[in-house]
Order: sequence, then structure tokens, then C-alpha cells
Amino acid sequence: MAPREPEDDPVPIFGSWTNIYVAVIACELLSLALIALFSSWRF
Amino acid sequence: MTSLDWTVLGVYLIGITAFGIWAGRGNQRMDDFFLAGRNMRWWAVGLSVMATQISAITFISTTGQAYVDGMRFLVVYFGLPIAMVLLCLTLVPFFYRARVFTAYEYLERRFDSRTRSLTSLLFQLQRGLSMGVTLYAPSLVLSVILGLSEATTILLMGGTTIGYVIYGGNKSVIWTDVVQMAIIWFGIFLCLGVAITQLPAGFSLRDSLALAQSTGRLRVMNTSTDLTAPYTLWSGLIAGTFLMLSYFGCDQSQVQRYLSGASLTQSRLSLLFNAFLKVPMQFLILLTGVLVFVFYHFHAPPLLWNAAELRRLERATPPAELARVRGDFEAAHAARTAAAERFAREREAPGGDSARSAYLESQRAFDAARGEVVAALRRAGGPADYNDTNYIFPSYILAHLPSGLAGLVIAVIFAAAMSTLSGEFNSLATATMVDFYQRFVKTDASDAHYLFASRVATALWGGFACVIALQAGRLGSAIEVVNRFGSYFYGSILGVFALAALTPKASARGAFYGLFVGMAAVAATSAFTRIHFLWYNVVGAVSVFAAGLLISAFSAAEPERREA
Repeated sequence: MAPREPEDDPVPIFGSWTNIYVAVIACELLSLALIALFSSWRF
Repeated sequence: MTSLDWTVLGVYLIGITAFGIWAGRGNQRMDDFFLAGRNMRWWAVGLSVMATQISAITFISTTGQAYVDGMRFLVVYFGLPIAMVLLCLTLVPFFYRARVFTAYEYLERRFDSRTRSLTSLLFQLQRGLSMGVTLYAPSLVLSVILGLSEATTILLMGGTTIGYVIYGGNKSVIWTDVVQMAIIWFGIFLCLGVAITQLPAGFSLRDSLALAQSTGRLRVMNTSTDLTAPYTLWSGLIAGTFLMLSYFGCDQSQVQRYLSGASLTQSRLSLLFNAFLKVPMQFLILLTGVLVFVFYHFHAPPLLWNAAELRRLERATPPAELARVRGDFEAAHAARTAAAERFAREREAPGGDSARSAYLESQRAFDAARGEVVAALRRAGGPADYNDTNYIFPSYILAHLPSGLAGLVIAVIFAAAMSTLSGEFNSLATATMVDFYQRFVKTDASDAHYLFASRVATALWGGFACVIALQAGRLGSAIEVVNRFGSYFYGSILGVFALAALTPKASARGAFYGLFVGMAAVAATSAFTRIHFLWYNVVGAVSVFAAGLLISAFSAAEPERREA
């Protein structure tokens, strides 16, 4: 696994890297939901 | 192209070369030349990562594919955000803290020298030859569209890119990528805006989307679990994640981009930046292609999108036959226009289903009429496997964009090609220098010598790409073989990196021989099954990982080598 070392920079946003990754995955899920909606919407 | 368009294209080519040379000044050591002094900010690296991935053929082919087939290709990118998070958690910290130049260097620290040499060699072999295709494919399309020779477009794209990469190395690559990516984004919004504004009066964007939807072109989510079906939701999410892990985690052309970050945080942010933007970007590109499809309901499309083949058809077909296929094509187009207008008027009224059915029937008749044109081309001596999908978007640009803007969008296509090529020239030179030259040829030389040799290596790889591109017409089947071979080991190399990063139990022997097992597994999957190619990366990575662990467990104990 990745060596556990202190980060070389402060975490830039959201308080921790874990929160940043969760935000990325949440955005991915939101994108998929919007694309599914676009794909099935009766225009 | 008008003289204004040529001026815009000329200004772009001269400007980007001058800017690349200016941005790349001050290189003293290999660290500067190959990793931009490890001093770049996340947004610049992130745009460079994005620019390296989007090649010209992606740009013109994706829009063409959306025109012909719809937006389902979008699923290929669904795995990208997941892959970015996984890379930020695993390989990126390893690479960054090990202070390596190449991804393969890390494998020597974890396993042994031969694993590093083999993976680097496979990268150079595959990327070196595919780079020729990266250059040839858009050059071919642009040569037909612009009326230039193939050699001219190849040398324009390849020559200018070689010029600034030789001088400025990775700093030039990243900063020109930033500018090129800005031009590409501008071009995407411009094309989308023009496609929307050119819809006929009384035909709204909603009508356009409804029309495209009725033909299935807006369908993205296919939840089929059939492994042979192309572009399903699962192949996008699972196989797409493996593909993106391979590309962004094990391909030096991408790894080198984020190794240039000023810190681990900057490198991670550059990848996460792509995780946010890539899917929306591809969505917009595909949507542009769909709107171009609707646009050509109300404007006459050419008989064939490839102007060179159209000339052949007109030259070699008996006049009576040519008049017949042309008449059928134009009549089918007129009928489709009328059906589309009726569809827009009546689709929400009672009996709207009949308007929809009539439109779909007219679309089938139009496809049949076009099939007749292609059949006539074959009788006239045209290629048996004629496919003009890549010519649709450039033809649309030149025929329907205002003067000046057309030149700008052609510059966008040049920018997309050059941003990919620059990263590839630079990464191939790095792999050659760091993984071979410094280890086997000149192990102890001055910075000045290595800097000079790095520039020579860049020139040689650039020249090689141009030679392959110039010969690509004759090497067609050989290139296909090489690309197929490349697909065999792309996922397999990911398996080796997974062995390195995820388990301390894997040995050098397990990784080395596991790589061959993975490649054989992908070759067998390709030869004996109809599984869609996106899954090959999964087969390769999982096979290497499993075989590597088994071989490690059963082979004689060898000294454990871990990251320094």
C-alpha cells in the first residue's frame, strides 16, 4: 500500500483527501444520474 | 477555406510554435527538460493531461460517430473519475515520492531491472507506432478537406510540434497544451452554439433533441450484461475504469504529465480536475455531433463526405447511373426534411406517433439511398470498406461555419493533434533516455550531454512518427497488427503495477512471467471469443495479477526488493 507519510502540502479543500475523493465520486454519480435522465427524457 | 481561414490557421501555427519555444526556455538539466523542473501547478498539469488524451482523431471521429451512431460512446469515459481516485490513492504517491522520471523506473525499485526494461520497451514499441497513426489519421482527413497533400499536413503538424518540443521539452509541452486546451474548449462551445443557431426557424432545440431521440441517438445507458455488446453501462464503469487506470497510471505519456507537479497535492489535483471535467466535455462533443445530424435534415449533405472519393464516383460512374443515384439521394433527403418538419409540428398532438413512424421510415429510406451511393462508389473502384465518418465534422465546418471561424475550428483540430503528439514525443524520449541510454549507453555523463542527447532522442522519435505517418497508407495492415498487439499488453502492464503497489507478496519473477501470461490470456480472449475489446484490459490485468501471485507463491524464494 502507499507509504504513510505526512502530506507535502495542506489539503486544499473539504478538510481531508477522503472528503475530496467522496466529492469526486458523488459528482460522478450525479453526472450519471443526469445523463440517464437526459437519455430517457421525452423531449 | 477562405483567405481569412488560412490566415487564422497560419497565425495559430506560427503563434503556438513561438509560444512553445518561449515557454520552454531555461532548461539546464534533464529534470527541467523532462519534468519541467517538477514545478508546475495543478491546473496547468490538469489541462495538459486532458490535452494529451484528446487527439485530433478523437475530436473529429467522436462527432462523426455521434452523427452516425449516437451518444453511447460516452460510457467509455464513465470509469475515468473512479480511476483517478484509485490512482490518487495508490500509484501517484508511489511515483511522486520515489522521484522517478518514468513509471517503469518504479518497477525496478519494486521488482528488478528486466521488468523495468520489458515494460518500458513495450511502451515504446506500442506508443511509437501508434503515434504514427495519431499523426496520419487527422492528416489524411485534413489533406482531403483542405486540398493539400498528405505529406504537407503531416509535416505541418509533426514539424511544428517537433520544433518546440526539442527546444523546450516538457515545459513547452505543458504550456502549449494549456493554450491548445483553451482553444479546444472554445472550439467545442463555438461548434455547439453554431449548430444550435443554424437550426431552421420554427424548429427548436427541443424538437432537435426529440428528432435525434426518435432515432436512438440520445441513448447512452444500455444496462445489458452481455460482454459482447459494445458500450454498455457496465463495460463503461468496469472495463472503462481498467482502461483509464492503464492509460493514466501506466502509460508514460500521461504519468510524465503529473510527475511535473510542484508537489504530490498538485499532481493529485491535476488528475481530479480531469475527473470532474472529462465526462461533461465528451458529452458536449457528442451532442455537437448529434446536432450536426439534425442540421443536415435541413441542409443538403454531400453524396459522400470524403471529397476525394466523391470525385472518383463522379469521374468513374456512367452519367445515367450517377444521375439515378443522385436523384434517389436528393429525393430521399427532401422526403426526410418534410417528415422531420411534420414530426416537429405533430409530435405532441394526438396521432403524433404516426408522424414519428413516418419520420423513421424516411430516415431508413435516406440510409438506403446513401447505401446505393456507396455501392455505386464500389462499382467505380472505390474501397470495399468505405467509411467516411471522420469526414463529416470537418466537412460541416468548412461548408457552414462563417469565414474565419472555420479556420479557427480547423486550428482546433490541429491543436488536438499537436497536444497529443507533443506529450508522446516527450514521453518516448524520456523512456529511451532514462530507461535505456542512461543505464546501458552512457552511465556517467554531464547534464549538458544528457540534455543534448534528450533533444536528439526527441528529434528521432518525432522523425520516426513522421516517417510512419508518411508510409501509413502502405503499412495499413501492419499498423493494425501492432495496435492489436498493443491492446494485448495495455491491461497486462496494469496488472504488473497492481502487483507492485497492492501486495508485498509478489516477486520479480511473478511479475515478469505474469506479464506474459496476461498477454497470452488477452490474445486467447481476442482469438476465441467475441468479448468486446473494452474488456481486454480487465482480462489482462486480472490474469497478470492472479498469475503473478501464483508464480510468486510457487517459485523459489528470492530476495525481496521494496521501494527505496
